[in-house]
Formats: sequence, C-alpha cells, structure tokens
Amino acid sequence: MKAEEVLEKIKGQFGDAVREGEVRDGTVYLTADGARNFEVCRALHAMGFEYLNCLSGVDWKDRFEVVYDLSSLRFPAKVHLRATTPHDDPRVRSVASLWATANWHEREAWDLLGIRFDGHPDLRRILLPEDWVGHPLRKDYTDEGRYVQFTPYGEAKKAASHAAHGEAKPGAGAKPAAQAGAGQGEPAAGAAE
Amino acid sequence: MDAQAATALPQGIEFERGETAEEMYVNMGPQHPSTHGVLRLLLKLDGELIKDCIPYIGYLHRCHEKIGENRNYIQIIPYTDRLDYLASMYNNWSYVKAVEALMGVKPPERAEYMRVILGELQRIASHLIWMGTFGLDIGNFTIFMYCFREREMILDLFESVSGQRLNYAFFRIGGMPMDFPETFYNDADGFLEWFKGRLPEYDRVMTDNIIFQRRVQGVGILSEEDAVGYACSGPVLRGSGIRWDLRKNDPYGIYDRFEFDVPAGDRGDVWDRYMVRRLEMEESARIVEQALAQIPPGEIMAKVPKTIKPPAGQVYSRVESPRGELGHFIISDGTPNPYRYRVRSPAYVNLSALPAMLKGCLVADAVAVLGSIDIVLGEIDR
Repeated sequence: MKAEEVLEKIKGQFGDAVREGEVRDGTVYLTADGARNFEVCRALHAMGFEYLNCLSGVDWKDRFEVVYDLSSLRFPAKVHLRATTPHDDPRVRSVASLWATANWHEREAWDLLGIRFDGHPDLRRILLPEDWVGHPLRKDYTDEGRYVQFTPYGEAKKAASHAAHGEAKPGAGAKPAAQAGAGQGEPAAGAAE
Repeated sequence: MDAQAATALPQGIEFERGETAEEMYVNMGPQHPSTHGVLRLLLKLDGELIKDCIPYIGYLHRCHEKIGENRNYIQIIPYTDRLDYLASMYNNWSYVKAVEALMGVKPPERAEYMRVILGELQRIASHLIWMGTFGLDIGNFTIFMYCFREREMILDLFESVSGQRLNYAFFRIGGMPMDFPETFYNDADGFLEWFKGRLPEYDRVMTDNIIFQRRVQGVGILSEEDAVGYACSGPVLRGSGIRWDLRKNDPYGIYDRFEFDVPAGDRGDVWDRYMVRRLEMEESARIVEQALAQIPPGEIMAKVPKTIKPPAGQVYSRVESPRGELGHFIISDGTPNPYRYRVRSPAYVNLSALPAMLKGCLVADAVAVLGSIDIVLGEIDR
C-alpha cells in the first residue's frame, strides 16, 4: 500500500475529523480529532498497519496530543498520526485492543503526562511509584510537593489513607501534609493544576 | 523435550484451583541476580507452573525525557549513552540521526563509514555481554569468561578511538568529532581475525552443549502474532520467525552498501533468540570487514552551526540497535532545546511481551526466558 493511497482512503472515510493530511518521505502525517482516534486507528490497523512503533503524549500547553507512529512489516509506508485532546480533561480511547504494545505506552503517557485512556485494561502508573503526585512531563509541573518516601511493595494505599487523614506517613516527616493530601487521595486530581 | 511434555501432569491428575495445588504469588526481584538490574516480576504460580507474570519497572527512573527537554541538543548526547549503557554508540547514533533528520544535515561519507564500523563493533560487544550473562543465568560459567575476554578487546578499540570504555558520547550532530587513530585499522583487523576463530569455541562451550540445548529449546515461546502485536523488535522479533531488520528493510546511513544476512528463527523459543544473536555476531564482523576495506578518506564533519537550532517540526527516527528498534521522537520549536524528546526503547517494548512468553512455563525457566529478551534496565526505566 502506498502512502498516498492511505491518505486518500482515510480522508474519504473520516472527512472533517482528519485534518492536515500530507505525505513526506513516504510517511503520512495526519491530525485527527481525539474523540475519534480509535476509529481512525482501527481503520489504519485494518489497512495493514499492524506494527505500532511508538505512542507518545505531547503537552502543547493549550491542548494535549497523542502521537501514534505506525508502520507495517509488509510495505514501506508509515503513518504519523496526532490525536488532539483538550488540556483541562485530556482523554482519548485506548488502542490497546488493536495493538497489545499500546498497553505500556499508554500507561507511560498516563504516568508522565496525565492523559487518560478510556477502556485501557490496566491504567496504572508504570515508571513512577503509585503514590507519586503529579505528572512530570507536563510543562507546568513543579516539584514542590516532591516525593519523599517510596513504598516498594504496593503499600501506596496505606500511605494514601494516612495522607488523606492528615497524618504524616511513617518516616515522611519532611512532607507538607496539605500537599500530600491533595494529591494522594485521588490520583486523577494529582496533576499540577 | 518440548514444553508441553515437560509440563504435562501424570494421567488422571488435573489441576483444580485450590485443590491439588495452591495458587500463590511469588516476587522475583527487585533484587535478584538474574534480573540484570533492578526489576521486579510478580509471578502467579500454580505449583511449578507460571500462570501469570506482572513486571514492575521504574526503579531506575530518572525522567530522561524531562532532562532532555531542559538541555540543548548537544548536551543531550552524553545522556543518551546512559540509556542502553551496553550499546552506547548505537544510542548516540539514533539520537544524532534524529536531529540530523530535523535539520536536513547529511554527514560526510567517511563519518558514515566510521559510524557503521563503531556501531557494528558495538553490536558484537553487546551480544557478547548478553551471551556471557545468559550463560551465567542458566549455569554455564565458562562462556562468561570467554565472552568478556573478547568484549574487553572491543573496549580497548573504543578506548583508542574515543578515550572512553563504556559511555563514549562520540557521535556529533553532523558527523564525528575526530578521526580514527593510525593504529585503529591494524588493531581492528587483528581483532576480527582473532574473533572469527573464537566463534567455534563458543559453539563448543555453549551452542553444542546438550544440557544447554535441553534447557532452552521449546521454552518461552512467543508466537508470530504476539511478536508483532507487542511490537517486539530485534532478535526477539526475528527469533519468532519474522525476518525484519531495519538495516535491511528500511536502510539508514550506508547500510545498503554492505552484504550481510539477517538470521531468523522459526519457533520463537529461547533457543531461536539465542541462535539469532549468535549468528548476528558473524554478520556484524562481516560488515565491519567490508567497511574497513571501503572506508574513503575525507571530511568527517558536515557544516553545522555552533548553536544547534533545528527548524520547528517533528520527526520519529529509528535505527536497529543490538536490542531492536531504537527510536527517537523529537519535536523542535526552533529554540536550542527540544520541545518534546521521547525515546522508544526496544527493551521496554520487548519486556512488555514477557508475560506472553512466560505463561505456561515452569518457574525454573523464568530466568532463561527473561535472559533471552536481553534487557537493559537503564533503557527500560529511562
């Protein structure tokens, strides 16, 4: 399948939901509406893009983007798909059911950027500890409420309940109780907003 | 003996949850000699059988990507060394290639040859260290000594070129910082001559060893569909029978000028992944030989400005590192720092397929299967 064909098919199928389509060096560059990311991905998957090279999140300050780099092991065309989602409530549908590899990439995007992936089988933090506050790759992230104690064997819940009740965690003397409470009670609210 | 036969129960006995055997969770790691770093695997066991495996990573996390956003393009180069510290040359290469693509710079021909020579020597060194530690994992100590002996020679070569033995930071955006020393060509030829004679030695110690073969054949099978679905790359993908190598299928640099084969397995077990790496060492040696014979004289650095400011844009660029597809996704906004800097590390993605390989294995095989992925935690945790 040629890159131009891919672009034509996707444009024909999705019309306004796909913007800024162009072909450069055999790669199709697409920008899609975040609300329809799954359908676009499913269409691309059906076209033969069975290999998800990379899935990244980007913080553009006024919006978030989820970037899919797709290719195939049978033909040389590649796709660089950007799905935009609002900054105050970044969420797109998970594509882990199409490409199993998306599972860890989406967990990483949630962990470091705070983008929610609806329908993800297991959306937990992956690189940072479970009870970390905030999402460090956001442009407005500050490390004021810096993490103090690491709970290696999943004692995060216990630590979180300690914090929610305004008690200092055992051994976490330096941590301001207010910040700990705000972030750890509800991880979704832990963004640096 | 294949995995089915090894794990079959005597007739008349069936596993019923909680009856004949108890399901339990066992931690492997974070501190475990065969996890090659700090990795925790939570194994769900039914007797000796692995029912499920949940990897926990991030013990070495330093937010490499955030560090990258706060450094300028040249300052990032030494940080890339510390991703996959067993193949630093290749990390450098992947990064500078991405920035060069953003800027539209083409390195001079001689620099391209230098990159291939250093990259392929690095691949041999990386596979050697893998082979040695894999031998340790499954109880073959001898091969470890052999492999480290040869790896040491490659490190000596790298030291003569760059002054460093592990983290070289030797690639520059637009070319290479300095030429090979006079002695390098002789030394490299001498090493290749010596190395080719050592490969049959490895075979006698490891490959032809019947105990080793029994230990790894039919274990940790990764099907073709799973390998593609999990976007595995490098020897893990090729072990599952897919002959896919970016050096051949999407050639970058000057790889289209060399003759080499892409070895692949057919069953996707630990043995196949072992054999792919074992044969790749020969192919890399072939490439280095050709490159040393062809390398032209000339410039080693293209004309690039002192302050690197790529035009606004984004690029996803990939190379075939010893562990698989190493990608750099960089967004530039025209300033000296990248706006977004993302690393697609092959070991991270390959490790995500570990549960698929381990399901149904014996717990004693977990070490062999994990070893066969060739993980480097510096790259996984970033």
